[in-house]
Amino acid sequence: MLEKSYASSEVQLVVFKLGKEEYSVSILQVQEIKRITDITRVPHTPDYIKGVINLRGSVLPVIDLKKRLNLPQQVLTEDTRIIIVKVDELSVGMIVDAVSEVMTIDQENIDSPDVVAGSVAASYLSGVGKLDNRLLILLNLEEIIGVGQETKVV
Amino acid sequence: MMDTNQYMGMFLEESREHLQTLNSCVLDLENDPENLSVLSEIFRSAHTIKGMSATMGFTTIAELTHEMENILDLLRKGQLKASHDIIDTIFRCVDTLEQLVESVASNNESSIDSKPLIIKLKALAKGEAVLDATVKAEAISIAPVASSSIELSDTEIAVIKKARDQGMQAYEVQVSLREGCLLKSARSYMVMNALDEIGEVIKSIPAVEELEKENFSLSFQVIVISGSEAEKIQHTVLSISEIDQAVVLPCVLPNDTKAEVSVPKSIESMIKKDDEAEKAGNALVHTQTTVEKKNKSGQSVRVDIDKLDTLLNLVGELVINKTRLEQIGLTHKLTDLVETIEQMDRVTTDLQAVVMKVRMVPVGQVFNRFPRMVRDLSRDLNKEINLIIQGEETELDRTVIDEIGDPLVHLLRNSIDHGIEHPNEREEKGKNPIGEIRLIARHEGNNVIIMVEDDGKGINADIIKRKAVEKGLISQGEADAMDANEAVRLVFLPGFSTAAVVTDVSGRGVGMDAVKNKIESLGGMVDVETKVNEGSKFKIRLPLTLAIIQALLVKVSEEIYAIPLGSIDSTINIVPSDIKTVQNKEVILLRGQIIPIVRLADVLNIPDSENNQHTEEELFVVIVHIGEQRAGIIVDNLIGQQEIVIKSLGKLLAGIKIIAGATILGNGQVALILDIGSLIQ
Repeated sequence: MLEKSYASSEVQLVVFKLGKEEYSVSILQVQEIKRITDITRVPHTPDYIKGVINLRGSVLPVIDLKKRLNLPQQVLTEDTRIIIVKVDELSVGMIVDAVSEVMTIDQENIDSPDVVAGSVAASYLSGVGKLDNRLLILLNLEEIIGVGQETKVV
Repeated sequence: MMDTNQYMGMFLEESREHLQTLNSCVLDLENDPENLSVLSEIFRSAHTIKGMSATMGFTTIAELTHEMENILDLLRKGQLKASHDIIDTIFRCVDTLEQLVESVASNNESSIDSKPLIIKLKALAKGEAVLDATVKAEAISIAPVASSSIELSDTEIAVIKKARDQGMQAYEVQVSLREGCLLKSARSYMVMNALDEIGEVIKSIPAVEELEKENFSLSFQVIVISGSEAEKIQHTVLSISEIDQAVVLPCVLPNDTKAEVSVPKSIESMIKKDDEAEKAGNALVHTQTTVEKKNKSGQSVRVDIDKLDTLLNLVGELVINKTRLEQIGLTHKLTDLVETIEQMDRVTTDLQAVVMKVRMVPVGQVFNRFPRMVRDLSRDLNKEINLIIQGEETELDRTVIDEIGDPLVHLLRNSIDHGIEHPNEREEKGKNPIGEIRLIARHEGNNVIIMVEDDGKGINADIIKRKAVEKGLISQGEADAMDANEAVRLVFLPGFSTAAVVTDVSGRGVGMDAVKNKIESLGGMVDVETKVNEGSKFKIRLPLTLAIIQALLVKVSEEIYAIPLGSIDSTINIVPSDIKTVQNKEVILLRGQIIPIVRLADVLNIPDSENNQHTEEELFVVIVHIGEQRAGIIVDNLIGQQEIVIKSLGKLLAGIKIIAGATILGNGQVALILDIGSLIQ
């Protein structure tokens, strides 16, 4: 879950784009943001696992976030980034189309994800943030990365 | 004791080490009672413990080791023979010392009573074969007994010899009266009378007159010639009231050599002194080690394992950077740089080797506690077991060593309890009554294999199936579809136990699955082979966790993979027509051997590319092996040999069987390391 007990009931989010939609994760879960590098394919893994990368000497798995969320694919562009997140001591990279900004949002402005459930499996979402005219979809990284579940080896 | 506190850790570490030495050396001594070098080793260890504990102020430990030392000294000087009784007592001492040391470690006031043992040791030092029954915990002290070597006159010797010719035996009876005994003369008279009834008393010390005048402290000795058994004599004497102790020893004549002392069979049960008696002991453990014991006591420094891990990581980074420099030198054709790197290469190779070695520990460190365990267990279970340890010099990474002990204990216990049959049962089956358990370690490619093999009754696949169905672990249908090998593997399922009786040793059903989990958490595998009435073989395969290995880099389509050099036999070129099919499987013929081939591109689901034009050209085949099994791996190209640093793929990707890990190449790209074992199975 997101760090909801944030002192001022505000959360800081890293906002990024997948296609045209805006998604976000808590900044506390983000380790760093990286340009796309060589990704080594790993055989016999679910298709959303893009492969592994070298992050300063350690090997990290990278998830194709759009494939994971069943969103339409898009070619890599100059803006494509890998967001390295850390969930339960596990560092994982996620490929996103572009990272737009870091913003602060009040906890009150975050709704339950049921409102938008539809295109994306509800369990992957942890809420929807409203800010002015924008809708930010907050991701539930534990579910997306699949911590705790056995890796589904195909 | 403020100033000794800082030495506490050292004291505990060293004591444990010496106790381990004691354990294994005493075992050696049991099998080879005459071995002086082993004795000296034991003596040294005991002496060190005594010295250390005295310095630290642990008087109980010091006291016990002191008494132990006395016995050991007598053994060393040849004044005592390492009998069964003595060995047992020394083992008990070691156990008690272990408890004492551990109670020191846990800061508990020890409630361990070493008194009975000390009394027993004292008695043994005086040459008495004290029976356990006679050493009562509450026995406060034993009255000083005069030296056992009674001087015999020529006539007395003649009498004894004559008696021996007639099939009788001379015994030396050491009698101790209870402390506070009021009518000492009356008691001694009764003893004499009783002995006279079953034999002939030829001498007493002090003399009979002195005894009658009560001119002795609490004990006296009598030499009696009798046709009765020693046990009976002892019983007779003990039946008299106010007798605290009676020890019956065969009388040794001055010109008797050790070999000539003919100890009637009846005494063996009481004084297991000679080798025959030892064989009569129900469970005797011979430990054969294929390697000579190295009793080197070099200088060493204790280092925190974390520091070694850091060191290893740093060396790993260094190797990666060195490879990168190499590439820069080659691409820019900088001769000076290439030469310097060659120098550096040598240094890093050495550095690596040293760091690896520092972390490697011979499995003997784990194995050396097993002979004792097998001895004790087999004794408890009335089985005779011969434990054979091989390859104890095989080295494994420290972290693996620390973890492997428990699973091995479990497998050994299983073999002893369920595998090896009772001696008579074995004889009925026409087997050697002495069971055999082999504990073997060896290298195999980049793995270490540890096998626990027994020649016991094996595992009956049908019983396993039935039990598994009964316990609802599998359905009847599944059971029927299983072959024997699969069925036997059911023992690794959680909650499985076939032992009819739950014993202390094993059979609680928490065993094998725990073993399997442990081994797998170490990145290893465990398998079992069994034949009913021939025995079972548990085979553990462990990675060396050598973080740096030599590997062959190969290219398949656009992907690069690393194959550990340790499992590679050779690389060959073939043309597609060399590939034949046998039972729909592709094979090639290499030096008269049929070798199945694996097309890496297929196995790894490599997305189709235009690499199928290779058909008319030569194919590269890497011949690999795991144990006896061989296979040829077809790749598109060979890149070359390189040392690589093994990195884990992480928890998320841990389940992929055919990938052993990943490595970072000189250009920063990640390459996957193939797990040859699962690739060719």
